[in-house]
Order: sequence, then C-alpha cells, then structure tokens
Amino acid sequence: MTRPLLELNDLRFAWPKQPVLLDIAHFALQPGERLFLKGPSGSGKTTLLGLLGGVHLPQQGEVTLLGQSLSELSARQRDRFRAEHSGYIFQMFNLLPYLSVLDNVLLPCRFAQQRRQRAEQRHGSLNAAAIHLLQGLGLNDPALLSRPATALSIGQQQRVAAARALIGSPELVIADEPTSALDADSREAFIKLLFAECAEAGSSLLFVSHDTALAPLFDRSLALPELNRAALAEVN
Amino acid sequence: MYLLRLALQSLSNRRVTALLTVLAIALSVTLLLTVERVRSEARASFASTISGTDLIVGARSGSVQLLLYSVFRIGNATNNIRWDSYNDISTLPQVKWAIPISLGDSHRGFRVMGTDQSYFSHFRFGRDKQLSFSQGKAFDDLYDAVIGADIARELNYQLGTELVLAHGAGAVSFVNHADKPFRVSGILTKTGTPVDRTIHISLQGIEALHVDWQQGMPARGSAHVSADQARELDLTPSAITAMLLGLNRRIDTFAVQRQVNQFTGEPLLAIMPGVALQELWSLLSVAEKALFLVSACVVLTGLVGMLSAILGSLNERRREMAILRSVGAKPWHIFSLLVLEAMALTASGILLGLALLYLGLWLAQPILEQQYGLFMPLGWPSPAECKLLAAILLASLLLACIPAWRAYRLALVDGLSIKT
Repeated sequence: MTRPLLELNDLRFAWPKQPVLLDIAHFALQPGERLFLKGPSGSGKTTLLGLLGGVHLPQQGEVTLLGQSLSELSARQRDRFRAEHSGYIFQMFNLLPYLSVLDNVLLPCRFAQQRRQRAEQRHGSLNAAAIHLLQGLGLNDPALLSRPATALSIGQQQRVAAARALIGSPELVIADEPTSALDADSREAFIKLLFAECAEAGSSLLFVSHDTALAPLFDRSLALPELNRAALAEVN
Repeated sequence: MYLLRLALQSLSNRRVTALLTVLAIALSVTLLLTVERVRSEARASFASTISGTDLIVGARSGSVQLLLYSVFRIGNATNNIRWDSYNDISTLPQVKWAIPISLGDSHRGFRVMGTDQSYFSHFRFGRDKQLSFSQGKAFDDLYDAVIGADIARELNYQLGTELVLAHGAGAVSFVNHADKPFRVSGILTKTGTPVDRTIHISLQGIEALHVDWQQGMPARGSAHVSADQARELDLTPSAITAMLLGLNRRIDTFAVQRQVNQFTGEPLLAIMPGVALQELWSLLSVAEKALFLVSACVVLTGLVGMLSAILGSLNERRREMAILRSVGAKPWHIFSLLVLEAMALTASGILLGLALLYLGLWLAQPILEQQYGLFMPLGWPSPAECKLLAAILLASLLLACIPAWRAYRLALVDGLSIKT
C-alpha cells in the first residue's frame, strides 16, 4: 500500500478553556482519492480544516501531509507548506472582490513558489494555466478574465474558486461546503467538473459537506461524528 | 510589491471611505504647511525689516522698545537724544554714516518720521536692498514729504497731494498742524517693511511744525509763526528720537556700543538690530508655536480619522483575510497589507495636500503681497517642511500598527474559517 497523502493519528484538539472538540484515532486520505466527509455544522468541521491546513496545531497527535508532520514545522513553514500543497474552496464568497477573475485565480501563485513554477511549466505561462483551468470548468468567455469577481454569478464564482484551488496542481484540494449555495442541478455539474480537474491535476479531494445526497458520487465517504470520539463521548 | 498592489486594489474597492480619508489628511497637511510657510516667511520678512545698520541708538530704555519705535514705528520713545549728542556720536571716527530719526507726529494713523538725505542713501532692508522711488524724488523743500507705497495706495495720494500732519501718533488727533501743510514730493517703491507706512519729511520740517509751540501747545496770536515765516528761522533741531549707525568696520560694533552706553552727556542706549530682532521674535514665537501646535493637532486628527476608518473596516474584511491566508499569506503579510494601506492613504494625502498648498499659494500670492507685504514664493518644499512631511508619514506608520496588529491577531485566531 502506498503512503497516504494525508494522515491523522491520535489527534486531540480543544480550544482554550473548552472541552475537547476533536479526538480522532486515525484518518487517512490516499493520493488521488476523492473522499466525502459528512460533517453537520457544529461538529468541529471548520476546526478540522484549520488543523489540516496547519493554521492550528493539535494538543496531541499529529497531522501528516506528504509524509511531513505539520507539528515539526514553524508557523511560517506551515503557512508556506499549506500554500504549496493544498488548495481551498470555501462555502461562498471565495473571491477577493477587488481583484479581477484572473488575479483571483492566480492568487496562490503569488505566495507559493512551487505552484507557480508547476503552472508555468505545464502551460507555458501563468495566464495560460489560469485560462486552461477556467475553460475546463466551463468558463470559456475570455472577457470574463478581466471582469471583477463580484460581477459573476455565485455558480461562476465557485468555479473560479475551484480554478484557484487547482492552479499549480497542489496535491490536496480541500472543499468546505462549496456547493451549499448552488441549486441541485448545478451542484452535480460543479462536482463533476471538479472531479475532472482534480484528476487532471492529480490532486486528492477532501470534500466536506452536510449534504449526504452527494456522497455516492465519491470514491469513499466518512462521517465526522463517527470519526470523532469526542463527539461520541458527548452523546453517550 | 504584490502586497502593495493588493493594498491599493483593496483601497480602490472602498473608494469613498478612502477618498474621504485622503481628503481629511490632505486638508490637515495643507493647513500645517501653510502655517509653516507663513511662519517662516513672516520670520524672514521680520528679520529683513532692517539690514546693514550696525547699531541703533536711542534714549536709555529697553532694547526691544527701542527697536519697536525706531524700526517698526510701534510705541513711543521715553526720551529724546540731544542734537549735540547726535553730532558727537555721528562724528566718531569709527562711524561711517548716521541717520537721524525724529518721531512724534502722524497723518491719518500713519507715522511721520523726520530724517535727512542720508536715510535715502544709507538705509537698507531685506538683503541689502536700498530704498527707491516709484515716483518723484526725495524731499528738497522744507514742506516736502516722501510717502511709503502703502500710504499712496490706501489714501490714494499722488505727487503734489497736500497733507496736514497731526500732533501725536494716534489715528485721531485733536491738534493738527493745519497752518503748515506738506506736499508729496516722492513715493517710495514697496518694501514690505514699516517704511511703506511711513511719511518721511526733513528734520527741519519737523522743527518748523513745532517752532512756535510752547509747553506742548500751539502758540496763539502774535507768537504764531506762519509757514513762510518759519522758512526764515534757524531750524536746526534741538533733539531727535533715535539714530541708525553704520560703521566703517563691523568689528568696531562692540567698541562703539560701549562708547554710546557710557556716553557722559546723557543716558543713551545702543543696540545691535540683529540681537534685538532675535529677542523680539522670541517674544512673538509663543503665538507662532501655539499656531504650529494647533495645526499639528489637526494633522493628528486626520491620522486618527484614518485609523478609525481602517479599524472599522477590519471586521467586514475578515473574510478577505481568511482567503488570503488560505492561499498562503502569512499573518505577517496581513500586517504589512494594512500598514501599506495606511501609508498609501497618508502618502496620497500628503501629495494632495501639497497640491492644495501650491494652488492656494498661487491664488493668494498677489493678495498676500499687496495686503500684508508677505511674499510667498512657490518654491519646492524646504528641508524643514520635508522633515514635517516625513514625521507625518512616520506617525501614520506607527498608528497603522494598531489596526495591523489587530488584523494579525484576527488572522491567527480565525485561521481559515470564514466569518460572515
């Protein structure tokens, strides 16, 4: 069996002066895998994403991304590591309103050197990489590029956010309820486009949502409350 | 560089607030620079009221008082200098020239000064500038008067205009020298000094006005001397008010000053104009400093306005911070972003403030020069002004650390969670 891309071992986390919020014995994401993680609101989902991104550190246990334990890195290095190897898609309002669509997509390349180089190598130039991704996600209109991000529909904005998460082919794409603002039809369409692009970039996808109807589309699905021993303890 | 671009784009997204903030800073900068300019120009024009004169001699009193009445025509002398004392001092070997000054009369609020031809050849102001005539010539006849540029303009006097002098220095006088009218023989070019507001007549003219006066009252009846009768009399003055001295060698100044101060004939005082001007300016500088302090406070208000605008925007921008964090921005980047934003606002405020200053100067220049004799050149910012502007930038840098630090903390706590 290959080394997992992302691995959590004996992880415990609590906010200061609060009971333990997350207690996960083991969790692993394989390279190229598309995992659906079911997480109702209040289940510690956002905190988990913060831990995966190395923004917060667990009190116990560790998060390992690409074989690198995040706890061993300094805060600066974790910021760097996160930017180089993972892309994020949020629930909504993903884009900086004052940047054009193109600048929004290119944003990670300003902070992550390797992703920038990878994008340039694969497509010749950053702009070409962005245009390729946007086209793949169904945003073909070249006039769109220079338009401010706020001029787009929510569905379009989420696709731009996906392009931003995917540019420079990070190993991991984390999507936090990216479809909750979309209607049922565009939801599936969005996920299919996302799958296709992840496959092309070779990225694993960790898709967090409370909408279980989407789960069958994925390789595997897990429920955070079942994974989280802290939540079980509380229920019992 | 990319951060600066981000900061600018973020600002342009909040255009209205940003513009108002820049405007507030610009106005305060304009005010500060205007005060600074007026201050330094006033100081320069003040210092250039008299030049080339090595010593001013008057009856013993305070040096500021002597300077005030002899040069600025403010206040009155406590006592006079006897004519023979004047002769003794003006003929000292070290003395190159001496200008006698006799004060005490006025015309419609303007001071009358009795002097002689040496005034027109030796008096200097500004950077060694000599008096010159825009019309006419120096007094020649006993009843000739030379008026300053302001008098000619304000009273609309021309060559040949007759004027009646009044006894005493007040604007309203009850005793006029109506029997001996003077005639304008010359009008001086504008100097920007009290000379512009002075009527110059000969010492003999002053003497003629008072020749028949007894105990401070004009004579009546047979004792009255008419204007023409006065011409026949010996009009050598018995006393003058003050005198300006020019020396052959500057190095003798202290020696002559000591000689005058120890003059045995009567108690006299000799002052160096530069020293007395300095002393006087230090009295005036309290007001000047207060003005400066107030305008500095206005600048601070502008900066605090910016501070509150940025702080107020932080909450609605937490999403923006989280997005930046998710694409790899470090908390330090967030900090820099906010500092850059503040610096961009302040720098634009300063530039706009400078533009407003120059526009204002350009518009006000003719009025200032005509009305107040203040010449405000449209020069580049002086080193002192550049220091002020740098101080403003520095202050905004320090103030910007407050919201920047707060955003830094928020960025650490919020992490990647998007607060709505």
